[in-house]
Amino acid sequence: MPPVSQQDLWRSLEERANAPAFRQQLRDRYPHLAALVLEPASRRGFLKLLGASLAMAGLAGCRRPEERIVPHARRPEGREPGEAEHYATAMDLGGAALGLLVTSVDGRPIKVEGNPLHPASLGATSALAQAAILEMYDPERSTAVARRSGGSREERTWHDWAAFADEHFAALRASGGQGLAVLTEASSSPSLADLRQRFGAAFPQARWTEYEPVSWDNEREGTRQAFGRPLRPHLQLHRCEALVCLDAELLLHHPDAVRHAHDLARARQPDRKVMNRLYAVESSYSLTGAMADHRLPLRPADMPRFIASLVGALLHHDARGAAWEELAAVVGQKNPAPEDTQELRDRMVHDLVEHAGRSLLVAGPRQPAAVHALVAAANTLLGNDGWTVEYTEDTDPDRPQHTDAIAGLAGAIDAGEVQTLVMLGGNPAYDAPVDLAFGDRIGSVATTVRLGLYEDETSALCSWHLPRAHFLEAWGDATGPDGTVSVVQPLIAPLYEGRSSIELVAGLLGDGGPTSGRDIVRRTLEPRIGGGDERWYALLQDGRLEDSARAPVQVSLTPAAPEGEEDAEIPAVRADLATAWSGLAALAAGGTGAGLDLELVPDNRLFDGRFANNGWLQETPDPLTKVTWDNPVLIAPADADELGIQTNDRVSITAAGQTVEAVAYVMPGQARGCATLPLGYGRRAAGEVGNGVGTDGYPLRSTAAMHHIAGAGVSAAGGTHDLACTQDHYPLDPIGEQGMERRIDDLVRSADLAEYRHHPDFAAHVVHHPPLDQQWKPHEYDGHRWAMAVDLNACNGCNSCVVACQAENNIAVVGREQVEKGREMAWLRIDRYFRGDADAPAVALMPVTCHHCENAPCEQVCPVAATVHDHEGLNVMVYNRCVGTRYCSNNCPYKVRRFNFFKFMDPQTDVEKMRFNPEVTVRSRGVMEKCSFCVQRISAAKIDAGNERRDLTDGEVTSACAQACPAGAIVFGDLGDPESRIAKLHTDPRAYAMLGEMNNRPRLKYLARVTNPGGDDDGDHGTDHADGPEDDEHGGQH
Amino acid sequence: MFAFPKWINLLRPGVALALAGGPLYAAALAYYALWPATTTVGYQPVQPVPYSHALHAGELGIDCRYCHDTIERTAAAAIPPTDTCMNCHELVRNDSQALIPVLQSHAEGTPVPWLRVHDLPDFVYFDHSAHVTRGVSCVSCHGRVDKMEVVSHEELLSMGWCLRCHRHPEEHLRPVQHVTDLDWEPAEEQRVQGKRLMESQGIMPSEDCSTCHR
Repeated sequence: MPPVSQQDLWRSLEERANAPAFRQQLRDRYPHLAALVLEPASRRGFLKLLGASLAMAGLAGCRRPEERIVPHARRPEGREPGEAEHYATAMDLGGAALGLLVTSVDGRPIKVEGNPLHPASLGATSALAQAAILEMYDPERSTAVARRSGGSREERTWHDWAAFADEHFAALRASGGQGLAVLTEASSSPSLADLRQRFGAAFPQARWTEYEPVSWDNEREGTRQAFGRPLRPHLQLHRCEALVCLDAELLLHHPDAVRHAHDLARARQPDRKVMNRLYAVESSYSLTGAMADHRLPLRPADMPRFIASLVGALLHHDARGAAWEELAAVVGQKNPAPEDTQELRDRMVHDLVEHAGRSLLVAGPRQPAAVHALVAAANTLLGNDGWTVEYTEDTDPDRPQHTDAIAGLAGAIDAGEVQTLVMLGGNPAYDAPVDLAFGDRIGSVATTVRLGLYEDETSALCSWHLPRAHFLEAWGDATGPDGTVSVVQPLIAPLYEGRSSIELVAGLLGDGGPTSGRDIVRRTLEPRIGGGDERWYALLQDGRLEDSARAPVQVSLTPAAPEGEEDAEIPAVRADLATAWSGLAALAAGGTGAGLDLELVPDNRLFDGRFANNGWLQETPDPLTKVTWDNPVLIAPADADELGIQTNDRVSITAAGQTVEAVAYVMPGQARGCATLPLGYGRRAAGEVGNGVGTDGYPLRSTAAMHHIAGAGVSAAGGTHDLACTQDHYPLDPIGEQGMERRIDDLVRSADLAEYRHHPDFAAHVVHHPPLDQQWKPHEYDGHRWAMAVDLNACNGCNSCVVACQAENNIAVVGREQVEKGREMAWLRIDRYFRGDADAPAVALMPVTCHHCENAPCEQVCPVAATVHDHEGLNVMVYNRCVGTRYCSNNCPYKVRRFNFFKFMDPQTDVEKMRFNPEVTVRSRGVMEKCSFCVQRISAAKIDAGNERRDLTDGEVTSACAQACPAGAIVFGDLGDPESRIAKLHTDPRAYAMLGEMNNRPRLKYLARVTNPGGDDDGDHGTDHADGPEDDEHGGQH
Repeated sequence: MFAFPKWINLLRPGVALALAGGPLYAAALAYYALWPATTTVGYQPVQPVPYSHALHAGELGIDCRYCHDTIERTAAAAIPPTDTCMNCHELVRNDSQALIPVLQSHAEGTPVPWLRVHDLPDFVYFDHSAHVTRGVSCVSCHGRVDKMEVVSHEELLSMGWCLRCHRHPEEHLRPVQHVTDLDWEPAEEQRVQGKRLMESQGIMPSEDCSTCHR
């Protein structure tokens, strides 16, 4: 080999090491390494460290390590050392709680599961809830009280804070709270609501403001316009026969997303008498859009026109009562739809009316209140209320809209009305609308106090930063989307002496009320559960207060007659609806301007940015772009061609007078004329993991345009930036790529409902192959035969399984550079394929993990028998035998094996070590790893059953991914039990083995996807409504 | 034709030495590798409390499960909390010098830092309950602890050693009620009894890698 390449390599490394960009990257991704490599003074430290570790390694090699066993002095009752315990708690996000069961081993919470008793969870979780464990153990969370003045920062203690606060807030109480303001993130905590009342009593002059950057306020305002007061809609998707989503993502980051996923999967079971038909109209691909039977990409500027036309067509298609006719008269006959959309609009109208009472229109949070009002009215007129949508009262009906609230607070600060600002959570310096310049305004308030998990952008501007306790560390309470009350139970004492919001506020009141979290919560809940212990412990045990959901209310578009004038003539619909209509009509008449419409959306993984320092979420690929560690701006292929932009190009986005730089991703299915930038990236003070990752979209967001900015300019900024994308790793060359593309339909099999009804076993006939003879004596199984099934009809790509797997199996986060090289470690991935026309393609999502082939190709090539078959059909990976040849990975047709190129799992602090699942080996450098079908769970269940001298029951063992899946798309079980669910699914007509023609005999089977586009005659979608148990509530949850 | 150059002869003594010394070296290495101390058999650390199993379990006849109370239910055999000691020592010999660390732990609520004697590698997942409830006695792995003043590491605890029993469990199985009876002797031949127990209880230990490694 010529030595040239080696020389080049070294030279380029040196050059790169001196480049500022490289130095910055090193700092961002490998802080520990950066400290050693980049700081000249610590080079000696590096050598010292090297020497020390060598010496220690030497000693450790010669001598048996001395290990201590440290038992309790007083063991808590019921605690069994080393055994998993489960505690019910809840995670409050954006004002809605998800009920959880958290697994704890020896006092360390290690894994989050859903609480089957909680109506928002039904036993499943979101990816964000799964990632909460890593957030809690994040060593970069704030650890101390910090006092800032005049640019200097000093660490203080809670005692110092108490000394300051006692005096400061006593003075404020004396003045009635003059000049005091509280800014809080949305919270569903009854205790905080109660404290707020008492706060109002102690500080009558004080302001209390709530702000969330991602808010459902438009929906709330829409219901006010339609029904006269703000209400909270609850979608019953499992009852929907026709569902029209207008820019509505129901399956991700919606307060009720987990239940929605469950319900929608049920509605879309092809064996139901009437399978759901789903329409989606949206600007950029959502998970709901990916599931849709008909999807219409539409730029935001065209959306009002389409919606106006849809509402108009609907109202003039049919008439059911006075309200209908009155609204139809307001709406008028002619509401032109954008070009080429009439046909789809008419189909929607047809289905909505045909299935009236069992159909549903939903608008998304980015649509204006007027759209929500008309959508709510349409649902009422169609008779959907009470069946596919229910409404409950808003808990805080007088609350101003989030945007108005924070603008009001900014105005008050400007007017000098605020001298003390207390911020509970949130991060307004980062995510408040840019025109408010909230960071500057914080600086102009004399005393600013911030309670935060991280010492972030906002804390850096505050005179006091107080460390907040994570929800897994502190007592609290929360209510689910439907009002179900849960207690937030701590799993561990605060790691960094944090305190919760309720503890902090209670401490400010000075009214002699309880100040410990547990006492505050008990006091709040006492009216509901009484003072006794029995119901309190039952509540802790169950994780939710039974029957505490708010009762659905009857709604009416007709205003109530004024008091005393019962005989007066009243209109059939509220005047607000006519106003809403004229608002929408004005928007529709606006048309499209020059330039692109920029759409700002919460990120599919990081939500609004608060989770930016979470490596699990950063490295989880976006479900649709498959990009990790970045938030590229999504541009339609046609626009990209026009602008001369390709994926990975740096672009500058100019909107509303602001310019940001981003990286382009050309997204098939993106609406022409729309660029979409996910929010939540470009954090400046998130921590070493999240800092500087991606582009911050908040500088483009103003109170006038929170979601859509018309007339945005996107242009190439020169240069490229490689996105770390996980989907396109494997094609070797163009021929391989073409081959793969040809094979996609064999991998992801689907049919429409008519074809399915005709040929239920269509999936079995996609690939034809000669009879598959056994070349070897097949394995014999006389006991359990573990297997998995994935229902492609139910999977929506929410990533919950991916993060659950990462948490359960101690899977490493490798960082951006390694992902770019294809070295990500996720055992479970979700493949995304596009089908059809690049401008409006369909999306197919397919979770792929180790198939545990009975004829496993990997086993046949391992030279050291490090991957072998066990007697229950698991393809096991023996880390200690593995020498790292990687032959197995090369021979794996599914490409699910992952190699540890480095010692990725190298915790630097004791706190990081605490999060590991002790039942799973932490893999070191140089070994292969892959999905084990959660063998640790199988072993534990088998041993427990054996100890009790009984057989395993179906459902007793489930894998982490199956347990987390909100849609029930993943099922795990024992084929050896012919009555098990998995055995039935493996013989389902839709079941097929991916690449089964290779005679691998995989233990993972997919259930082919069935879509329901409906034909011209619509014969398969009759009017005979299914009235039966399958339409009933969720297994007795209500 | 190739011929070795003359200077090659200089290497001859070296080659001879290697030929003669090689087997010796190999033998020494094998001896060292198989020497019990290398495998930590005989490891007997000095514990923070001079607790005598010979006295408590042997002479006084306290059942193993009085202190190691979780062995029938959990993977780990719990080391007793200080409270367990104090159940008796509140009254018994509470003035003994040897008990000072225990009394201190009890008073202050701080743990007694015992030293681990039987330590499997971290990639091995052993479950006490799975063995104890199927009739594998403590004595099979831990030896006659009831005769040890200071606990020492008796058995090899290597993978081959584990597999020997997994392949021939009849050599060790006994009726479950005698599991903690360390000096119990079967009335009939062990193999015959073991085979009968295997059949009646359906005990078929697995030799799969996944049984112990995850």
